[in-house]
Amino acid sequence: MTPVIRIKELTKSYGAFTALDRLTLDIAKGEVFGFLGHNGAGKTTTIHILTSLLRPTTGSADIMGADVVTGSMVSRGHIGYVPENVRLYETLTARENLIFFGELSGVQEAGSRALEVLELLECPDLERKKIFEMSKGQRQRIGLAQAILHKPSVLFLDEPTSGLDPLGIRQLRNLITKLNQQQDMTIFMNTHLISEVSKTCTSIGVLNRGKLVYQAGIDEVMMRFGNDRALEDFYLSVVPGKAA
Amino acid sequence: MTNQLKPVWILAAKDLADARRTKILLVLSGFLTLAGLVSLAVAAAAQKADYLTYIEARDLLVSLGKPIADLVEPMFFPLKLLRGFIEHIEIIGGIIGIVLGYRAAAVERGNATLQLVLTRPLSDAQFILGKLLGNGIVIAAGLSATFLIASLALYAIGGIGLGFDSYGRLGITLMAATLYVGIFFMLGLLFALTFRKLPSALLAAFAVWLALVLVAPQIGDTLDPDNQVAGGIFRTLNIAKPQEIEILKTFATYETVRDGIEQASPAKHFERLSFAILGIKDTYLGMPIAQIMQERIHDLWWLIGVFTALAGILLLRPLNPTRLIKEN
Repeated sequence: MTPVIRIKELTKSYGAFTALDRLTLDIAKGEVFGFLGHNGAGKTTTIHILTSLLRPTTGSADIMGADVVTGSMVSRGHIGYVPENVRLYETLTARENLIFFGELSGVQEAGSRALEVLELLECPDLERKKIFEMSKGQRQRIGLAQAILHKPSVLFLDEPTSGLDPLGIRQLRNLITKLNQQQDMTIFMNTHLISEVSKTCTSIGVLNRGKLVYQAGIDEVMMRFGNDRALEDFYLSVVPGKAA
Repeated sequence: MTNQLKPVWILAAKDLADARRTKILLVLSGFLTLAGLVSLAVAAAAQKADYLTYIEARDLLVSLGKPIADLVEPMFFPLKLLRGFIEHIEIIGGIIGIVLGYRAAAVERGNATLQLVLTRPLSDAQFILGKLLGNGIVIAAGLSATFLIASLALYAIGGIGLGFDSYGRLGITLMAATLYVGIFFMLGLLFALTFRKLPSALLAAFAVWLALVLVAPQIGDTLDPDNQVAGGIFRTLNIAKPQEIEILKTFATYETVRDGIEQASPAKHFERLSFAILGIKDTYLGMPIAQIMQERIHDLWWLIGVFTALAGILLLRPLNPTRLIKEN
């Protein structure tokens, strides 16, 4: 299958510190890719480079064939991004935020599309609510809504379940699956929760100190490890040491 | 609207809605208006007292038998009352510009919304243009409201109505004020988009404001030989203009340095232009607008030049997302 995300020898250094070390990775269309790693492993740096927020020191990456550095105006049109602890314009309502981000992404009739997306995410009641009045879970939904308004081919989620309660986590997991299956979105998800990976992802990669130490399809992973506990043991064996 | 300009307007409209919602425009221009009105009230009261003194003196002379036709009617120049108002724009307007500029970037950085905006298919220049347009409208609208209130106050407090010529002069001053506040807006924005730490950006912007608005003009004024005696040393000593020029030639280097310090200040250029146009400086009292503009056009060009240079730096300098999002 044609990769929608191609990463080749990607390196990001800050002086003597190497945050990402020659990462090479292909993500095929329709995958839900779980990027596992301790805090500080380089997962967010990877997403920041793929969303053109950061420039790599060396190496290259492209989204749907558009280079994230030289063709960033094109590659950004293909992506949606939900940062960890998503924060929107607090004084604006959900609808106003969505119209703003939708219009910036070139969405025609952003108002009606906003409502459509809120219904898809099962939260049309949030339309007129201001962001500062919302719970963490509600904000996360609006954050997800702003990322999919323009029907991107690839959706980047950075620790999407961070700070959510068990119910919020389950709802978000269902939404991710829905977006992947119904909207045909390829999803690249950073996480450090093994349980999320086994329940949501179709393939995984494990990053340790900027280096990709393991990559496999979820079927292969589950066949090899059988359950979350065994996978967790394996993860801790390839990513040793204290979390940053 | 072309595809290139659409994102610019979307960003500008968002900043306008934000300014309206957070009432920042109302608070800042309200503060400037209040300060201006106080100075205007004081000046108008002083002028009214002068006028009453004249009436008393005139009535006394008439009662002593002096023909009223022999008495020269005093001339009042209402725009002269705006001296304090202009000085407030110099000081408070600069602060308002910095606060708006800093806020335009700091709110996005602090809220981490900049990350979301910068992952959209828009160029750095479109982002900056959107900020300049939205906040430019906020500044122009705020100053227009302040000038309108000041002109109404001239009538309400001093009982002096303004003619067409006076409104023309106010219009030119408003344009210069918008450029002036715009310069400080761009300074605040540039620093807030450049510095690693936001508080450092604000401190640096205020350090520049202090140097340009308070220190440089003060040094220039204090070192001016003509300012050593109230009313002007040359005038007090009855030294004619050609002699004054001859005397000043012997202080050419000193005068170049002193004038250079003054010239570095946008506040001084705004003040010189406004004081001339409004007739606050006696030399220009009653002079036609066209003639004043001919004499003081370099002040306007200076303001336009700095404004354009800062806009150019902002538009041409690529944004550094690494720095802008790292703090979060």
